[in-house]
Amino acid sequence: MKKILLLLPAILASSLSAHAKLNVVATLPDFGSLAREIGGDKINLVVLAKPTEDPHFVDARPSFVVSLRNADVLIDGGAELELGWLPPLLQNARNPKIEIGKPGRVQASQGIRLMNVPANVTRAAGDVHALGNPHFTVDPIIAKAIAQHIAQSFSALDPANAAFYDANYKKFEAAINAKLQEWGAAMSPFKDQHVVAYHDSWPYFAHRFGVSIDIFLEPKPGIPPSPSHLTDVIAQMRAQHIKAIIVEPFHDRRIAEKVASSTGAKVVEFSQFPGGLPGTDSYVKLIDTLVSRLAAALK
Amino acid sequence: MKKIILVTLAILPAVVAFAQNAIPSPNSPTPVVSNSAPAAASDVEALRQQVQSLTETVKALQQQVKDQQAALQKANLTGESGLPQNPEPSPIAGAEGSLTPAGSAPSRFPTEDTSVVSSTTAPAASSVPGVGASPSLGSGSFPTTDTSVVTSAPETISSTGAGASLTQPITIGGGKAYMNISLDGLFALAYSSARDLHNIEVGDHDPQQRGFNARNTELAFDGAVDPYFEGFANIVFKLDNDNETDVEVEEAFMQTTSLPFNLQLKGGQFFAAFGRLNPTHPHTWDFVDTPLVNGLFLGPDGLRGVGAQTSWTLPLPWYSQLIFASQNGRGSTGFSFRNPGEDGMFFDRITTDREARGLQDFVWIPRFENSFNLSDTQTVLAGVSGAFGSNETGANSRTQIYGADLLYKWKSSHAEGGFPFVKWQTEFMYRRFQAGHGADDSFPVAETFHDWGLYSQVLWGFKKGWVAGIRGDYVDMQDSRFTDDLDRQSRWRLSANLTWYPTEFSKIRLQYNQDFLEQNFFLSAREVESVFLQWEFILGAHGAHKF
Repeated sequence: MKKILLLLPAILASSLSAHAKLNVVATLPDFGSLAREIGGDKINLVVLAKPTEDPHFVDARPSFVVSLRNADVLIDGGAELELGWLPPLLQNARNPKIEIGKPGRVQASQGIRLMNVPANVTRAAGDVHALGNPHFTVDPIIAKAIAQHIAQSFSALDPANAAFYDANYKKFEAAINAKLQEWGAAMSPFKDQHVVAYHDSWPYFAHRFGVSIDIFLEPKPGIPPSPSHLTDVIAQMRAQHIKAIIVEPFHDRRIAEKVASSTGAKVVEFSQFPGGLPGTDSYVKLIDTLVSRLAAALK
Repeated sequence: MKKIILVTLAILPAVVAFAQNAIPSPNSPTPVVSNSAPAAASDVEALRQQVQSLTETVKALQQQVKDQQAALQKANLTGESGLPQNPEPSPIAGAEGSLTPAGSAPSRFPTEDTSVVSSTTAPAASSVPGVGASPSLGSGSFPTTDTSVVTSAPETISSTGAGASLTQPITIGGGKAYMNISLDGLFALAYSSARDLHNIEVGDHDPQQRGFNARNTELAFDGAVDPYFEGFANIVFKLDNDNETDVEVEEAFMQTTSLPFNLQLKGGQFFAAFGRLNPTHPHTWDFVDTPLVNGLFLGPDGLRGVGAQTSWTLPLPWYSQLIFASQNGRGSTGFSFRNPGEDGMFFDRITTDREARGLQDFVWIPRFENSFNLSDTQTVLAGVSGAFGSNETGANSRTQIYGADLLYKWKSSHAEGGFPFVKWQTEFMYRRFQAGHGADDSFPVAETFHDWGLYSQVLWGFKKGWVAGIRGDYVDMQDSRFTDDLDRQSRWRLSANLTWYPTEFSKIRLQYNQDFLEQNFFLSAREVESVFLQWEFILGAHGAHKF
């Protein structure tokens, strides 16, 4: 105990002097990836959720409290995806710098038009998000907007590097703009084709790239697939000649395989998060991978 | 020329709401973003042509805006048009075809998507810089200038008045409100080989009789009071064995949100932060009933009371928190402290029931907890707690309880819905209880009890929604030849259970208990078997639980 007390001043001093870099916390790996695009090596980045785990249910580990307490910037979705684990962390973190409304709080959904806003919120419909579908970062245009929010937050808090953040934002924007043409071309042969997904995480991706991802292995969001529902799905897939089933790393792939084997469709592993699939350590690489995987499966 | 491009872009947002073509034409010209590229001589002619086509496009678009404004007014959508009510493109748009000529304009891709842009009834977007413009960091109240994504008519969204942000859309069925309100119902069907199940189960919210039990129907409220405080309240309705309803203000407190130096103050009626289980509500427990050591040392209702608490998270690289609370410690919720006991008796002493004489009569409850991550998937949380105060069995008799707790949790890096996981939790407690001579020195013997106990449980979430658990309990009560209190019988218990969570808002649990009560000077040994079927529902917005 005495040792700890002796250590305290040293740690305090070091934490103050290490203030040169912005301490950035992102709740989810997609926001973390965008923060990295903008902040480069000028930020210390902590990402709370793992790219391979279900973002709805992340353990509120006590170490996250420490990260949030030390944060200059918090980037969260703001659309209730993290509702089950972020509020108690913030309550315990007691960090006024990342309160809603402060420049240190970037809520990625800010100003974004969310899709599938339920007219009536009832849990009889499963895990419905009252504010709309929160899986929006997989739309590259929305990603640009989030990146811009992030750049603005970083610049406000670290004006000395504002030009750096601005330049990185422009670089990212240009990269996305250039890639959009390529992605659009890759997906255009499959316009309006139906695709099955395990969970309803893909309305933004589908809308952006012109496919229709509207049949799900889950009977309702968050409710595990039941045999009777899968029978319906298989019938629909056969009727519409659906060629692909999208699963995410945390889903039970065996269920998808079973459906695939009785319909001749392919199972395509997707991830909403950079790092969730091999070779996707950046946002652009992730969308590259998603587009090429889906295009290959639909061919 | 840039001006023209900018004008085009400025008008685009107004049209944006009515367009829906999501797929970029592969042969679209260079995106507008490149408007800073130096123009080579050969490009000039091409650009001139583009400008020409742009001018035409602008005219066409202007006409469309007018037409569609009229259409909008007809459709009487003015009130709701800013709201993302319908993910599908607006039926009145019909603009996909008529926009086709614009395909020759510099890529309109980023800005014409109804999925990301809310419609606006006014072509007021001329003040909004276009996509290709610099993001103009730091200027303007609304950060994003990318008109393809922003909702361009914020005032139609922020209905909740000044200060409401775009992330707080209109309340839909209570999605956003001043507070979370939830109702939790917890029920159990019990069978036990003991007819006096209420003597076997040590918690007030545990099943207390053979047959059906409804001992924990709980209303929970929480929310921000103002910029400085948060408020919490848990009101429990408990049906006793005669089906009479008891009401408990289990917790009702406020706590600060914005004190400096990582400090937090809390005041009101609250559970003492003693160990892992005591501060939590029964519906969050992994077993149907209270561990023996919690029920017999901290009390059937847990250690809770009216008081104040301060906590401080230490500025260390790991999670480390000091908590210090003081409570009245009076009555059955201060069980080992100023508790007059049932019918004025505690450990067979006739109890005093006096007013506090000084600070020594309050319960003082310190706690120190630390947490480390062993790896990306493994977390450890360890804590030590204490509770110190006086008790009512004598004029100057005192109680000290010391506790140590350890939690280990592993969760898969590919967890779905939080599964699979393994959680191991252990709590140890030692109690020193000075049992005095009773009120007016009526009891012949004063003695000091050194009691200790622990429980250890392992939960295995083996499949989404399914958890298997096993628990061992032991309590060692110091032998006494002067009191035959049932609560002073040493005993142990083994429990096993299986829980199914259809969602996080409901559960069904089957549990088996084997109890062994050891012989002492007054009481004979007993073996009891019990089976419980427990079920639970949660309605409404329930605050998320801590780790």
